[in-house]
Amino acid sequence: MKLERNSRINQTNKSEIKSKLEEIFGAKNVTDKKHNLLPYSYDATECEPGMPDFICMVENVGQVINVVKYANNKKIPLVPYITGNNIGGLTIPQEGGVVLDFGKKMNQIIHIHESHMYALLEPGVTFGQLYKHLKENYPHLRYCYPFAPPYSGVVGNAILSGMNNLSCIHGSMGDWINGLEVVLYDGSIVRIGSCFMGDKLSVDNWHSRYPMPDLMGLFVNWQGATGIVTKCAVQLWPRKKIERKLLAICKNSAVTAEFIREIGRLEIVDDISAVSVEVAKMALGDPTPVKLDSEPDFPVILPMSAHNEQHYQVKVDLVNQCIKKIEKKYNTTIQCTDFDYFAACIGDDIRVFADLPNVITPLVEYSGLTWVGTYAPPDNLEPLIDETAQVFIKFDIPMFIYMKSMKSSHYAIFRPIIRYKKELEEERMKKATADILEVCLKYGCIPYKTPVWMAKRLQEIIDPNWLKFFKRTKKFMDPNNIFNPGRWGI
Amino acid sequence: MPTDREEHISEKAKEQVEIKPAKLIDISDLHPYNQESLIVSLDHCIKCNTCKYAFGAFTPSCPSGEEFGWEAYWASGRIRLARALLTGKLEWNDEILHPIFACITCGSCQDQCQAVHNDRIVDVIEALRELAVKRLGAPENQKKMEDRVGKDFNPYGDANSTNEELKKKYNLPNNAKVVYFIGCTSNYRQKNLRNATLSVFNKLGIDFTLVDEHCCGSPLIRTGQTDLIPDLMDHNIRVIKEAGAETVVTSCAGCYRTLKKDFTKFGKDLGVRILHTSEFILPRLSVGMLKEMDKKVITYHDPCHLGHHLGFYDIPRQLINFIPNLEFIEMERIREASWCCGAGGGVKIGYPDLAISTAKKRIHEAEETKAEYLVSTCPFCKRNLSDANKKVGNPLKVIDLVEIVDELL
Repeated sequence: MKLERNSRINQTNKSEIKSKLEEIFGAKNVTDKKHNLLPYSYDATECEPGMPDFICMVENVGQVINVVKYANNKKIPLVPYITGNNIGGLTIPQEGGVVLDFGKKMNQIIHIHESHMYALLEPGVTFGQLYKHLKENYPHLRYCYPFAPPYSGVVGNAILSGMNNLSCIHGSMGDWINGLEVVLYDGSIVRIGSCFMGDKLSVDNWHSRYPMPDLMGLFVNWQGATGIVTKCAVQLWPRKKIERKLLAICKNSAVTAEFIREIGRLEIVDDISAVSVEVAKMALGDPTPVKLDSEPDFPVILPMSAHNEQHYQVKVDLVNQCIKKIEKKYNTTIQCTDFDYFAACIGDDIRVFADLPNVITPLVEYSGLTWVGTYAPPDNLEPLIDETAQVFIKFDIPMFIYMKSMKSSHYAIFRPIIRYKKELEEERMKKATADILEVCLKYGCIPYKTPVWMAKRLQEIIDPNWLKFFKRTKKFMDPNNIFNPGRWGI
Repeated sequence: MPTDREEHISEKAKEQVEIKPAKLIDISDLHPYNQESLIVSLDHCIKCNTCKYAFGAFTPSCPSGEEFGWEAYWASGRIRLARALLTGKLEWNDEILHPIFACITCGSCQDQCQAVHNDRIVDVIEALRELAVKRLGAPENQKKMEDRVGKDFNPYGDANSTNEELKKKYNLPNNAKVVYFIGCTSNYRQKNLRNATLSVFNKLGIDFTLVDEHCCGSPLIRTGQTDLIPDLMDHNIRVIKEAGAETVVTSCAGCYRTLKKDFTKFGKDLGVRILHTSEFILPRLSVGMLKEMDKKVITYHDPCHLGHHLGFYDIPRQLINFIPNLEFIEMERIREASWCCGAGGGVKIGYPDLAISTAKKRIHEAEETKAEYLVSTCPFCKRNLSDANKKVGNPLKVIDLVEIVDELL
């Protein structure tokens, strides 16, 4: 694993750049020591490492404006970083430059608007932080939590279209952004959404992103390649009186796929998360589980919320009716039970999948973790499961497939996951993920939080006109290619 | 934890792709346990950041990370440094000693981490320190500790106390089933704590003795200076055995951790029961033995070597609650979420600013409870919290629990 790549920064002018960065951020917030740079040079995945030249801890918008102006003038790459625990190499510098670490000092929850139900956040706010703040101060409001450690960044997840435990009703997190404040390549600030109304309303007017032309698309999913987000307003939701979960056990891919689609279409569950049965065994302490023939394939967790017991019971009845239809259609049995009861029987370790935000323990078994995370057409879940399973079998990797219904099954998430020992098995996992990617692309899946190597493969098959327009847009937004250059393989 | 790195990879998988272990530098000169710990760092930790905050409480957990900010100063960053040094991706230089040694090894990261390697995180840092000492030598101030221990058997550089004078003063026998292992900090600096313990033992009528103890090794193990450790341990095992002890009681959290855990780690068998003073005293008290405390408000600081390192949280609280007529108010961060006092891991001597700034945060947290007494069960915590308390100019009284018991007994 080679850490250094061709950096755009010339070693001869490095001291001049350092002086300027120290002027902007203060000397204690700038480092170029190799031991400090190293942890920012790679992540848990198979993505190629790359050293930054500098790390700066950002404290305020003024610093971002100044550094962007300077970087644009000198054509220095800027790579935004929050916690760096994405699974996609998204904060690994492709051409050296300056990593802007927002996670340590620009991490305030600026404002919660109770009646408009949004949170205005600085880039460094984590899910754990927001969870604590809402629990202690606004218990009647809730945000969403992904299958990710509590210290993942909220804003990063939102602008990269992450998904979470309310995604079945509300869809991708990218859809829940009310507004953004972004520093553009020339150092100017643009506010997207209703917040564009001006400074007097700066905190209180982030209620929606409509009805102006939706410029949010210039920043969402661009992986920091079009500007630096300095504020983000995310929607909150009323917390209902009852929050419980059901657990359904599904046999085979056809039944599981149908279950995910049909339950999603009922529009009554907050989320549908299906994981391979092997993953449940991992959570219970078996690092290399084997599914027995007699065992079902997928446990599916259904978080549900309701205004009262009656409301909840109606929802449970509807789920059960839907299950009966599927059972009849596939001549199968789907066991559905209260999740708490199940956890009490099988062991509390299984609760990591339900009590979010939490550390999903099977994900943190080794030093490496990677996945092919995709937005998927719901109708193709069955062949996706079956053919991906063949890759897992080929490489003798414990099956780890994670799926979701999104926005009432308008679309789905299909995410095969691989854990591995990074300094031992990288080559093996690169081959396995490449094979899985081909299966996903064959069935129309689109990778999200896309690693560079996947983006390059994607470019080989997508519409050339789209790609041309994409590149033109990037050029328009970032003429000197300073924002996360090399991302998206361009 | 299995150290067979390929254990989970089947022959079938190996047929698909050749397994290529990263080439490692030679670490055969390290203690075997530390070699094992470094291998753990290669194969575990995805840097999920869970170590940075108290799990479930979502409060900051890492003094070093909070102080310096760069990823290299959090547990996951240190694991990455270990990995890079082991695989030769990072070269040794003096600057690298800072992130390796400017860590209190409080072990809070271990309590927060939910992964299978969590109980080895401090081990990895200590192994990394041994590697650094072997390659570059220890940082200057910490080296002094080893020099002093080598000469006088304590890290403070005072002439070795054989404890014979104390034995005479308290009329203690040469042999007893219980040995009070005083610990260097109590014996050479926080003498009130030592004297209070001796007084409590006398008042309770305990048949005990003292031995010519040498440093338990804690400050050296914590700072990767392991050369003297076998001799120190062998000496202490010998004098404890010669005293006929079945139980060793210590009032020092650092000694307790070392006697309880590190002796085994270094392949030594003490062969006796190890108890902290609080757990020795508690069952020997009965209702009416302690005077009332006049509704004084106290709060309790968990010493990391008891808490984060050994999960020892309940007994000191039970002892506090046994004291009649006091008001016990907990700080915000307690037990697994507790914030360190800042003294351990060689930081007090090596990085005094970090030690004091960490302690000041704890003092402010104690202030918020409106307590009159900040109580702990470790002489080193008492020392550093007292130092910070003086700098803050706070009326808070920093005291060890055994001192309170002595006053009330």
